[in-house]
Formats: sequence, C-alpha cells, structure tokens
Amino acid sequence: MSDNSYNEILQLLCNRLENISNTDIAITPDLSLIDQLSIDSIKLLNLIMEIEDTFDISVPINALADVQTVSDLASLIHRIKTESS
Amino acid sequence: MAYSPGFLALKGQDDKYNYFEGKILSSTITKLNAPLTQAFDSQPSSDLQISVTPTINAQMQRLADFDTLIEALEYAAKGTTGYNFHDARGNLRSVLPYRDLRQKARLSAQRLSGFGLVRGSRVAIIADTSPEFIELFFACRYAGLVPFAMPVPVNLGSHAMYVQQLGAMLNSGQASIALANLDYVNFLEEAAKETTGIKWVGTPEQLAELPVTDTEPQTNLPDETAYLQFTSGSTRAPRGVVITERALMSNIQGIVCNGLEIQPDDRAASWLPFYHDMGLVGLVLAPMVAQLSVDYLATRDFAIRPLQWLRLISRNRCTIAFSQPFGLKLCTMRVRESDLKDLDLSCWRAAGIGAEMIRPDTLKKFAEKFASVGFNDRAFLPCYGLAETTLAVTFSKINHGLKSIRIDAKTLVDKKMAVRLQAAGRKYNEFVNCGQPLPGHTVKIVNETGQELPGMMVGSVLVHGSSVMSGYFNNQEETDKALKPGNWLDTGDIGFLFDGDLYITGRRTDVIIVNGRNIRAQDIEEIAEQQPEVRSREASAFGINDDDGTTKIVLVIECRLSAATERQTLINRLQKMVYMAFGVNCLVELVPPHTLPRTSSGKLSRFAARQGFIQRTNLTDPLPAVESGDR
Repeated sequence: MSDNSYNEILQLLCNRLENISNTDIAITPDLSLIDQLSIDSIKLLNLIMEIEDTFDISVPINALADVQTVSDLASLIHRIKTESS
Repeated sequence: MAYSPGFLALKGQDDKYNYFEGKILSSTITKLNAPLTQAFDSQPSSDLQISVTPTINAQMQRLADFDTLIEALEYAAKGTTGYNFHDARGNLRSVLPYRDLRQKARLSAQRLSGFGLVRGSRVAIIADTSPEFIELFFACRYAGLVPFAMPVPVNLGSHAMYVQQLGAMLNSGQASIALANLDYVNFLEEAAKETTGIKWVGTPEQLAELPVTDTEPQTNLPDETAYLQFTSGSTRAPRGVVITERALMSNIQGIVCNGLEIQPDDRAASWLPFYHDMGLVGLVLAPMVAQLSVDYLATRDFAIRPLQWLRLISRNRCTIAFSQPFGLKLCTMRVRESDLKDLDLSCWRAAGIGAEMIRPDTLKKFAEKFASVGFNDRAFLPCYGLAETTLAVTFSKINHGLKSIRIDAKTLVDKKMAVRLQAAGRKYNEFVNCGQPLPGHTVKIVNETGQELPGMMVGSVLVHGSSVMSGYFNNQEETDKALKPGNWLDTGDIGFLFDGDLYITGRRTDVIIVNGRNIRAQDIEEIAEQQPEVRSREASAFGINDDDGTTKIVLVIECRLSAATERQTLINRLQKMVYMAFGVNCLVELVPPHTLPRTSSGKLSRFAARQGFIQRTNLTDPLPAVESGDR
C-alpha cells in the first residue's frame, strides 16, 4: 500500500465504514460520521487504530476536531500520508 | 477518584472489532507483540541515546513533608528520578528528570516575569501529555503565577465547540497569558479573540524567544493559590476550583503516606490526562513530591491501544497506576489473548480506582483476564475524591483489594437505608467500599434538611478538612452552593457510611458521568434550548444506567412539531450537537408539551423527568438515584 491516492483511501474507508456502521445506507463521501453513521467513540478508536496500522501514519488528535464527513477523514489521511512520505 | 472532567468520552459497548483485511490483523499483532526489551536504552529515531529515569533514587526519600510545590521540587531536583514520556508504540520519546524540570521551569519563570503581571495572575495552558506542560506549570509557580490546565480536543468535528469551551475557561479563570503546543495553539488563538484581558498567547517555543529577566523566584506561601482546576467542560459557565498550596500539600501527603504507603522502590505509570485532577494531582504532582519516577502514555494513545499502558507497567516494573473503571474496561475489552504472553503485571501493587462509580463487575472481569499474567486483585485500591477536595477524600486499605457489600434494593429506595442482603433471591445493589477519610478529613451523610444521618442511612455526602477548596474562582454564587456553613463541602454525591467506611450509591441529578467524564445536565439542556424549535425550560437531561453499568444520556424535549420529518431533523441535529460538544451519543425523546414534571416553583425536576422516562420506556433502573436533589 505504498501509493495511496485520495480515491483509493476514500474507497477503503467506505468499505470499512460499511462494515462497522449498523446502517443500511450507502456510504458516500458527504455522509456525516457523527449523526448519519453514529460512529461512537469506541468505534472511532478502533477505526483510527486500523487507519494508523493500514496506512502506517499517526493521526493527530487535534486534526479530528475538523473532521465531520467521510471525505474529511479521507482527505486528512491523504494529507498526513503525503506529508510523511 | 475525582468526579471531574477530562477523559476522552468513550462509549463502551461494542467489543467486537474488525480489521481492514485479514492481512492487517497479522501485521497488527506483529507490531503489538514486538519485544518488550526495547525500552531502557535504545531509541532508534533519536540521535541521542536516552534512557528512562531510575526507579531507585540517588538520594533519601522525603515523604511529602513540604510546605509548597516549589519546596518539593527543589528537593526532588537533587535526585535522579523524574518523568518519562512514551509514544503510541511504547517507545521512550523524552525524559524530564526533576533536576532538568527545576532548571527549565526557573528559566521559563524568568521569561514569564517579563510580562510584569501581578502576583497570582492566571496562566492558561492546554495540557497535552508533554514535558512542556509540566515545565510551564512549575514555571508559573516559580514566577508566583497561578496556572490552570485546559483540555485537548477529543471529539470528531468538535472544532467550534472546543474553541467555545476554551474561551469560557479563559474568561472564567481571567487568564492573562495562554499557552499551547503547536498542535493546539490555533484553537487557543481563536478562543482568545473572544476574550478580554489576555496579554499574550503563544507556544512554549515562542515563550523561549522572550528575554530572560533577572527576577529571583519569590517564596510561595502555603495560603497562596497553587492552581485552578476546572471541573467540567461547560461552554457557558465552567467553574475553576481554587486550590491553595496548603490544601495541595495536605492532600498529597495523605495520598503518599496514608493512601498509598509510598516506598523508595515505587514507580508510577499513567495515561490519565494532565487536565484531570486525578491525572494532575495524583500522577504528576504527587509522584514528584515523593520523588518517584513516572512513565507517561498520552490519553489518546491509551484509548487507541490500552495494551501499551500495561506494557509500560510490565516493562518498567511500575508499582502504582490509577485508572477510572472505564480504563480497566477498555483493557479487558481490547487486549487480545495473544497480547498477554509478554506481560508480567506482578509488580503492580496499587491499582487505584476512582473518578466514577465503581462497579465490582468491571474490576472482577479485569482481574480474571489478567490474573494469568501476574495481576493480583489485592492491588485494587478503590478510592473516592473530587476536584473540590484537591483530589482524594477516602482510600480503601492498601493491599486489601476490592471490598463490597450487597444491599437490599427495595429498602434502599423505600427507606433510603442500606440493609445488607438477608435472603437470597431478593433484588440487590452491590456497592464498593471506598474506605476511610485521609487524616485531617471528615465525611458525614446528611438528609435534605442538612441533618446528619446515622450509619447505613443514605444521604448527601459532605466533606470537611484541610484539602477542601477555598471556593470557585470569582464565582461566589457557585461557591455558596457547594460550601455549606462550617466549610462543609457538599460533594453532590449520595452515599452512606458503614463502620466508618464510605460507600457511594449515586450522584445527584445535576451531573451526568459518562465514562468518568463530568457532563452537566444543564449544559445539555442549554444546547437544546438554543434550537429555534425548543423553548427555554422545556428540555430535561439526565443519565440512565444500562444493565451493564454504562451510563446513557437522555434528553427529553417538549415539542410542538407534528411533521415526522421535522421531528426527525430536530432529533438528528440535537444528537449531533451533543456529540460535538461532549463526544457522547444521547437518546432524544420528543414528548407533548406539559409532559415534563415541574416543581412548585415552576422549575423542571430532572429527577421526576427521569422517573417519567423510566416508566414510559419500561426500563428497570439498576441504580436508583435515591434522592432528587436538583439544585
């Protein structure tokens, strides 16, 4: 997983979120993680752990304050990934 | 101990977790199972080889017999012990021996003095788990200034709410200077724009560029304020507890000598946030005052990988580590069987438990899981305290483990009396023995009219003694509510005494504690009342307990909307706003107008609203609040 384009990251994230959220709604980039997907804190921690392990990055806690949607999160991962490589 | 703010709002319910794909699973295990041997000397990513501070000090231990924090640091600085910071993977990142802390803090104090602030002026510091925070905290004391710690943002999408929360604290504490590490300083700058009286906002690096004045540190006096401790993440009216040097040193002495019976070979490990009283007083200040070394893991890193905390304890042979019950639950839930083989927790003699209601089950499950790696359940050390008493009020007996009693549930509700379970088959509540007050402290139980109750009778828990706060900073009204005549602190908790030991049975309805975090019901209601569809005094928030002991927030709204889509939109928006403010999910119930019960003075009664909700939803209430006590 050396070259993660934004779209690849987004796709991975959507697949993953489909598994962990308990809803039938299709995961789209604009979907809100908070009120539409109900990602509670435990799920969020697990998700971040997976993201960190998958992409070999460290997600800074301050950055999450500006994440509301699926695409926000994908952009954040992409940015960290690009900056660290 | 300590019902206070802080800890990441985590919701414990889902103990299943998956990985992106199978291959990730194995790589994760490989990483987490990396040998424990890396720690002591090697540091691959750093040019300098650093090693943790030793457990055994080079000088004689003095057990917290100091008058002020600075006096304690001056002594600790003569030894070799100190603070150690570890990263998410468990690698040692930086070391701050007390000797260096003294030197750095004195230097920063000389820079702070350049601002020419009046003695006792407040300095706000965002308290991430970093050496810089501790240096600044002590720099303030060397400069005769009063520091207060502010939280780091922990919730998804919380930017706006977090800035509001910081602004409220800056205003309430009337801070003259505000500091944060680079990661957080932009939030702080935003918050400072909305406040008045702030002279300077910056990072520790920016402070280091300021000129060093030749001011000599003045001696602090025991009656001077040592720091402020904020008690809830309220965006409207946060309250800063005023703690004097005398109260602090008295509490620390109680913790060190009586609660923990500290020895020269003790060593602590902690993931507790530095802005939480248990994290700050219990695991930053107290260890320094007793010249112990401490190993830190950032709260966020613990929450994501709780195993790292246990590995730190195991690897560095730590003897003291505190947690809220929720932290233990995270460990039980998320540490895999395959992770256990490298752990040896037999060194852990004091597993202090506090900060939220302790349920025996949580502790029992933890002990079962980790018994095979040497965890001794006699290490469990339940205690009780709150920010308003500096930190600790009672400690159970060290090395005795968890003691609890089973109380007949019906008598508890009907007669507000704790009667030990007589016959099998009756419903009961099990309560944990939190032990006896520290020397210089008294606990009493009173009824609604303030009359002292005999043992086994359930009522409000009041505390008197040398560690009780002077009041809330610049807030006489709240101070008068909390401090009763004779300087008895009303803790807001409900409980009873049995053979002199304190048992906490619940919390009055004005504060909801979710995973160790204090959330004021009023703050949730205010979020609701800010919505155009909701009128003031038509929202009521309270906590309900699930069978498994987790607390859920319920928000009941009197609502005039009839269209289903409009109603759903309101529910979604409220849930989102509560999540962004407090990082917890809440259940929103819309009810017709005039459903919520009011008191004779027209005030909403949260207690009655809660009872009504429980009836409507046919819930059983595993832990009755016993007393209303809306205040």
